[in-house]
Amino acid sequence: MISYIGKRMVAVIPIVLFATLVTFALIHISPVDPAEAYLTAAHIYPTPEILEQKRHEFGLDQPLLTQYMHTLQRISQLDFGTSYLTNKPVWDEVKVRLPATFELAVSSMVLSILVSIPLGVLAAMRKNGWIDMLSRGISYFGASIPQFWLGYLLIFFFSVRLDWLPVEGRGTWQHLVLPTLTLSLVLIALYTRLLRSSVLEQLQETYVQYARTRGLRERVIMLKHVLKIAIAPLITSMGMNLGKLLTGTIIVEQVFSWPGFGRYFVEAIFNRDIPVIQCYVFLAACLFIVCNLLVDLVHLYMDPRISSKGRAER
Amino acid sequence: MSVRHRKTATLMLVALLLLSVVLGCAKQENIPASTSTDGAANEKSITLSWPRDIGTMNPHVYNPSQLFAQSMVYEPLVSYKQGGKLEPALAESWTISKDGKTYTFKLRKGVKFSDGTLFNAAIVKKNFDAIMKNEKTHSWLGIVGVLDKTEAVDDSTFRMTLKEPYYPVLQDLSVVRPFRFLGEAGFPDDGDTSKGIKKPVGTGPWMLDEYKQDEYATFKRNPNYWGTAPKVDKITVKIIPDGETRVMAFEKGDLDLIYGEGVISLDAFKQLRDTNQYVTTLSEPVGTRSLLLNSSNPKLADLRVRLALQHGFNKQAMVEGVTSGLEEKADTVLSKNYPYTNVNLQPVGYDVEKSKVLLDEAGWKLPAGGTVREKDGQQLDFELIFDKTDPIQKAMAETIQAEWGELGVKVNLTGLELTVQVKRLRSNQFDLYFWYNYGAPYDPHSFINVIAKKSFGISETLSALPMKKDLDQQVHEALSSTDETKRQELYASILKTLQEQSAIVPISYIKKTAVYQKKITNFVFPANRDENPFGGLEIGK
Repeated sequence: MISYIGKRMVAVIPIVLFATLVTFALIHISPVDPAEAYLTAAHIYPTPEILEQKRHEFGLDQPLLTQYMHTLQRISQLDFGTSYLTNKPVWDEVKVRLPATFELAVSSMVLSILVSIPLGVLAAMRKNGWIDMLSRGISYFGASIPQFWLGYLLIFFFSVRLDWLPVEGRGTWQHLVLPTLTLSLVLIALYTRLLRSSVLEQLQETYVQYARTRGLRERVIMLKHVLKIAIAPLITSMGMNLGKLLTGTIIVEQVFSWPGFGRYFVEAIFNRDIPVIQCYVFLAACLFIVCNLLVDLVHLYMDPRISSKGRAER
Repeated sequence: MSVRHRKTATLMLVALLLLSVVLGCAKQENIPASTSTDGAANEKSITLSWPRDIGTMNPHVYNPSQLFAQSMVYEPLVSYKQGGKLEPALAESWTISKDGKTYTFKLRKGVKFSDGTLFNAAIVKKNFDAIMKNEKTHSWLGIVGVLDKTEAVDDSTFRMTLKEPYYPVLQDLSVVRPFRFLGEAGFPDDGDTSKGIKKPVGTGPWMLDEYKQDEYATFKRNPNYWGTAPKVDKITVKIIPDGETRVMAFEKGDLDLIYGEGVISLDAFKQLRDTNQYVTTLSEPVGTRSLLLNSSNPKLADLRVRLALQHGFNKQAMVEGVTSGLEEKADTVLSKNYPYTNVNLQPVGYDVEKSKVLLDEAGWKLPAGGTVREKDGQQLDFELIFDKTDPIQKAMAETIQAEWGELGVKVNLTGLELTVQVKRLRSNQFDLYFWYNYGAPYDPHSFINVIAKKSFGISETLSALPMKKDLDQQVHEALSSTDETKRQELYASILKTLQEQSAIVPISYIKKTAVYQKKITNFVFPANRDENPFGGLEIGK
């Protein structure tokens, strides 16, 4: 198992390298000169002298290969350079904002699990019953409504009309409620349907019929046997979504003025703040890879047959 | 422990961990109370929102520092007031030498920075030195190019000498950045403020109190302020990047004031106005939305074509339709609330018939059965580039396309990212372009400057005008003239030429919007486009 993890860790390196290369290339293909974009954003007229000075300052006058090697070298030491916009080290700025985004992603993930597992199981057990209809309704709604719009609707009803929760900002648990709801609805929609169909599939299996003939209670069959297997595709999906959640909070952060990483990134794009963009892409790539790895490990843990080595260890 | 139990225990542990992360994150300090007049000591406070973080509060640098916040803490030597009047601020008075090259400022006595240290000529000189150390960064501002030397003559006398006369020196000194003054305690050890400051110490009416990046900033009154103290004790600025959220926070009562340019959509503004529950106001024109007709394009080099295009669309209807009357139709490139711009100019009105005649005269004829005019086998077509994220530009571009289409002029629309659009302007790669002047206190001198000075894109737009050389000469004379009457004559002549040549087509005057709760009184838009309006605000019962 350890060598399996080791192998997977080594495989991460070329993927991350590739991600940095693609980002680097994309930024340099773009028609806008970062130095010029920086000056435009700063309302400084880009005279040729200052343009040259800034290009030199940012290292943009170096050959592309040198620039790329510099970038790699720095990234390997977790040094993402200095933001063009604020003159502060990017990593320091990111560190301050990551907890906010992480908080939102985790709470959404927890809420979606808490809601979708019982809802998915019950919907499968009471197929075509009212709870199944309800889960279908939620899924339909959750999957089709744009997140920003849902955010506005929630703010309008729960903050402006009912005055129960704050409109925006971060600080107390009340601030967390609406953005979490907004983010998790689409996950709930996805997970509920996934679990429902997976449970239904398992219910057709012979081991269920066998358990029933053995006189086991339906609840026991469901919790001890069916759910254990049916949950596998859900775990895969959750693992993929955690990465997506952490990088995909951008819109929700914007709507709820959540001081997270996503908002910082949006501003960086508008201002062509290259060090920040590079840092974001690097972190996003790492996140997806780690999440992927975690999913595989959980699967391995739940079903050791996946790795013959793991089986031997048991 | 059996395998099963071990698994259950692990799962529970993970769940616990996740829960503790959430609860741990949720347990944070409360942000300051958002409601206005409550609070222990009956503190009078106003909460507003801003789309972006206030920034580093460094008076000598630009982005991401926000102008309104810089203007709360730092002050200029000279202040720009309504109609372009220049009033004493940190300088009590000033004298200009006959040759227009030496400016001597008598500094206001008894002025202290918010930390209690004295404001004097030495600190003025220190700030000037720090700014001029990064001359290139500030070279967009005219004074930077002509400044030769500065001296602290005595404690309360500051003198600057120019390389050549340049009349808008005082206007340039009144802008929000870079020429404002940081106290000694704010300077970094090496004196180079471009890399950062130690703390924001200014002479202004406000001082930064609490600040949480990307979340909020509060300002309280500066107890050492030399001028009339503000009526409210505290200003809280909440950072809300989304316009719709801003409106909802305002409706809920979390915000007392929303003001600025384009901070909420026109629809939202109208909706708030129509409820009659709040006060909504519009400022005087702060800038002009114009359309550049690039005369270096051979088709547009013909005055008749340019005039035909300006006659050929209903400006009034377009401005009303697209901006719901929140912008005002513009007949002249500069509105009349700047110095030297109150000149009588003949508007180029809406006249489709005249337009058609002009195009025919210019040789652009409609072929039988055709919809696009032609001349020498060429079609009369143009590309109009616009900022694709700006809904107003897009709607206006489509309207113009439709109206000119009726005349037989084909317009192709290209929506671009703003940075690309600006790049196209500066490299003179466009036919038609939406352009804005700078507003007060930069105009009218910045406007005439870009007419003559190459590489801003405007001089190039005008390059095929027959009198371009004359125009440039007049601009140069106006900027360096020390004779007020002569300068007025020169401005009048420049503006008249531009009006007649129709290469910069004025469309509308942009205004700032403000929406506030009824308890707020005495709201006045600042004359300087970038300043804050908080000085006179009061809270009624």
